Amino acid sequence: MKNPAGTFARSLIIVLITLTSITPFYVLLLIALNSPSRRLADRLFFLPEFYFRNFADAWRLSSMGTAIMNSIIITGGALAIVVLVASCAGYAIARFPTRFHRMVFNTFLFCMMIPPIINTVPLYTLMRSIGGINTRWAMILVSAANVLPFSVFLYSSFIRSFSREIEEAALVDGCTRFSAFWMVTFPLLKPVTSAVVIITGLGIWNNYAQAVFFLQRESVRTIPLAVSMFFQQYGARWNLMAAASAIGMAPAVLVFLLFQKYFIKGLAAGAVKG
Amino acid sequence: MFKRILSLGTVLVLLLGVSVAQGAEKKVAIKFFTGKVETVEWMNDLIKKFHAENPGIVVEQEYQKDASNVIKVKFASGDIPDITTVWDQGFADQGKYLDLSKETRWWSRVQPSIRELCTDLRSGKQFRIATNMTMAGIFYNKKIFSELGLKEATTWEEFKNNLKKIKQKRPDVVPMFVGGKDSWMLGHLIEFMAHGAVKQKYGTMGSRKAFLNNDAEKLAFDASGGPMETFAKRILELKEEGLFNNDFLTATYDNQLEAFATGKAAVISQGMWALSGILEKNKAIKDNIGFAPYPPIMDGTKPVILSAEDSAYLIPAESKHKEEAKKFLDFLFRPENLKAYSEFLKAPSAFTDVNADWGPLKDEVAKALKKGVNIGFTTEAPPGFSGDDAGRMVQELYTGRYKTPAEFAKAYKAAWDRAWNAARR
Amino acid sequence: MVTLSRRIGANLHKFMALPAVILFGVFFVYPLLRGIGLSLTDWNGISAPRFIGLRNFVDFFRDDRALNDVKNTVLFALGSAPLLNIFGLLYALLLDRNFRGKSLARTIVYLPAIISPLIMGYIWYFILQPERGFLHKVLESLNVSFLGDNWLASGNTALAVLVLVNVWQYVGMTMVIYLAGLQSIPVEMFEASKIDGAGYFVTLRYVTLPLLAPAIKINVVTNIIGSLSVFEVIMALTEGGPGYSTESLSIYIMRMCYGNFTGYSTAVAIILFFIILLPVVTYLRLAKSREVEI
Repeated sequence: MKNPAGTFARSLIIVLITLTSITPFYVLLLIALNSPSRRLADRLFFLPEFYFRNFADAWRLSSMGTAIMNSIIITGGALAIVVLVASCAGYAIARFPTRFHRMVFNTFLFCMMIPPIINTVPLYTLMRSIGGINTRWAMILVSAANVLPFSVFLYSSFIRSFSREIEEAALVDGCTRFSAFWMVTFPLLKPVTSAVVIITGLGIWNNYAQAVFFLQRESVRTIPLAVSMFFQQYGARWNLMAAASAIGMAPAVLVFLLFQKYFIKGLAAGAVKG
Repeated sequence: MFKRILSLGTVLVLLLGVSVAQGAEKKVAIKFFTGKVETVEWMNDLIKKFHAENPGIVVEQEYQKDASNVIKVKFASGDIPDITTVWDQGFADQGKYLDLSKETRWWSRVQPSIRELCTDLRSGKQFRIATNMTMAGIFYNKKIFSELGLKEATTWEEFKNNLKKIKQKRPDVVPMFVGGKDSWMLGHLIEFMAHGAVKQKYGTMGSRKAFLNNDAEKLAFDASGGPMETFAKRILELKEEGLFNNDFLTATYDNQLEAFATGKAAVISQGMWALSGILEKNKAIKDNIGFAPYPPIMDGTKPVILSAEDSAYLIPAESKHKEEAKKFLDFLFRPENLKAYSEFLKAPSAFTDVNADWGPLKDEVAKALKKGVNIGFTTEAPPGFSGDDAGRMVQELYTGRYKTPAEFAKAYKAAWDRAWNAARR
Repeated sequence: MVTLSRRIGANLHKFMALPAVILFGVFFVYPLLRGIGLSLTDWNGISAPRFIGLRNFVDFFRDDRALNDVKNTVLFALGSAPLLNIFGLLYALLLDRNFRGKSLARTIVYLPAIISPLIMGYIWYFILQPERGFLHKVLESLNVSFLGDNWLASGNTALAVLVLVNVWQYVGMTMVIYLAGLQSIPVEMFEASKIDGAGYFVTLRYVTLPLLAPAIKINVVTNIIGSLSVFEVIMALTEGGPGYSTESLSIYIMRMCYGNFTGYSTAVAIILFFIILLPVVTYLRLAKSREVEI
């Protein structure tokens, strides 16, 4: 791909891709920056009115500050657990294929396919009996459990494709298999971990279906719940909702930028002797 | 960097585990579970005032967008609120609500017609008490009507001819705009026009009993020339004449309000709840809004207008703090609080001793209420067949899924019966 | 003491799956098993459940709306799962290379997936509405407004729109996994291929794709699962309408669950599980036999 025509074509495609992808986000900002009296049919509808009051109103009416704090704590806590627990489990499943581990893997795989709505009433009963309603720690545990199957699947598939040799070299150096995982394998998993964080983190960040039940008080409400405050019995306050969800996206974008760094080519290349 | 983020997360988790178990006090906490987001802020202010007067009680308001779903899960797992706004016939049948019939200090102030609407027919008791009323009917653009010399319709022919004339003389205006994507609005058309025919024939109590007991003879859902078949026929008539907006199936509530507010739609079916939305889009329309009853779909019947209870409160029977819950309702029901509430919500009060200046359509509504038969919502519909489901069947009717109006009527009855049987067993 | 701790250390790896098993067992499997029992009852969510054997499962095959939803769901997945994979891979190959603005481009592709599903529908309405929509105006200015027909007004075209919107919105997630896969391929492999004189497409066919096997497997499986359990995009855009013409099984399950058919909805959920299981297991078998060949 050294020829200039090819490079140009490629750049053009990338520009097109980003343009199509950014449209919904642009429309979100457009709605967020329009006053409620703005009409969809206006001639210059693609330019916002720059009505910044929506952001101030949305922030105040939905207690966005608290909601962002709660979302960060819950998503951060759940992700920390998921990365630790799922990478361990993925490693065990990939490297020690005992009957127990095969069964664990299959259970995870099956559970990815079960519509989680079946859980609703029994899980609510469980949460009540452990005093987990309106607490962040219980929501962290539930969120982590939800995304475990996918994360374990991701980790185990990738670990299988790595060679065992480097770990075995560490064993010769006097490591246990457990510590070999942490010292040798885990650092190699950065790209996978980034994928886990970015993808499952998004699911937890946007979780509405369960948060609705378990986070009832304003003090523990997350961003999706705060955004839903702008749904009315009839209709909705779309401009405020757009502003609130634009605010709510910011931390998620930051995390993406932070973690996508680990997709940079060649970072771990030196260590893997394919 | 990577490790630091991980360890930070772990520390956070540990901290949380410690910081959670706090906040247990000796006050009585009552849980107020509401599905009415419009009033959340207003209620929070009221709750603050209540706390100042009653230091021993803490009221916690919980709002849920999908309140009717959430409360099912709550009841099923034993998490019972102390006050709620969510009514469900099934819960009433299971004795899940406290009987409020004996609270004469409240009922003596409530309009008798509203008390009637609040009465559970199976038990004859009042489990809920409504503070307000709401109305729905035909909103029309007065300016367009007077320009074309049109009058409020009292028969179906007049209604159709009005729309035809608008189409003819004002091609830039949609005669009747329907936001059919939001299926609840189509459900309302069934509710007011089709069910409306049953409601006026058998009166409030008679029709409510018929809906509740699925009295096939009175409801006559699948009867030839019955309310459902006629309703379907009427909708198809207007469709064929091109009197609806082209995007009947995909236009939203918002589109509808906007079209009406900007004078691009002459007639819409709406309730008082839409007023603030319309005015938000165009304040100048305020003096041009006319309000009329629904035209009768069947010959020989009268126009109808929805006049129903709004903002009803219930106390679950299993609540552990019934006295405190009643105390809060006592506070809310004080005339000065209800007056403020009515004016805030832009809805007339159901309490006779509350005189609220509730909104710009006050006089229009008072006039219209005298012109049509007053009907209520069908709160006796089986929960498995919501207004949303009914609206979806109208969408199907519009797309041509049912070959004849009779087929629509049959399908409607089948869907209703299925849900009714599931709820009744 | 030292030997004991050493023995524990030496065996610790055997218990590495345990935290995941416990966490998942308590907060997912246990409530799940209790929930599954409801599929054998006629529970309506209010009165006490009654055991009715397999009647719910029999009823399913006579339920026209449910069968129609199966058709919608399968059609949606047939469109969505392959497209997500193909575009996800193409995007990843394009954005894996070094160029200025790489991280910006990746972020933008990922951006639509972060927008709250609650407001997603309104955004798409803003774009897709006939006459007033964003897309319509753009087409109008290009003089091709006949393309901007009311696609959402009929079930078949609406389903096609839903597939495209789903791909548009979630392609970033598939891309992220492919990026992780590409990143895990040692640079030496590409260098060796280059030394052998292989061109871009030869390298892609014989080096990149085979080594991407784990990422492909993950993406195929999760996209089959995700597409067959589609919920949010449809709720946001059409709510299953007009009528029930774009309703998916997941939406049906939710509506039945809260609409007095709780027991039945659980049975339908189990049927959906098998509908998902079949293609996933078939694919995994195929993938395994090919791995053996290689």
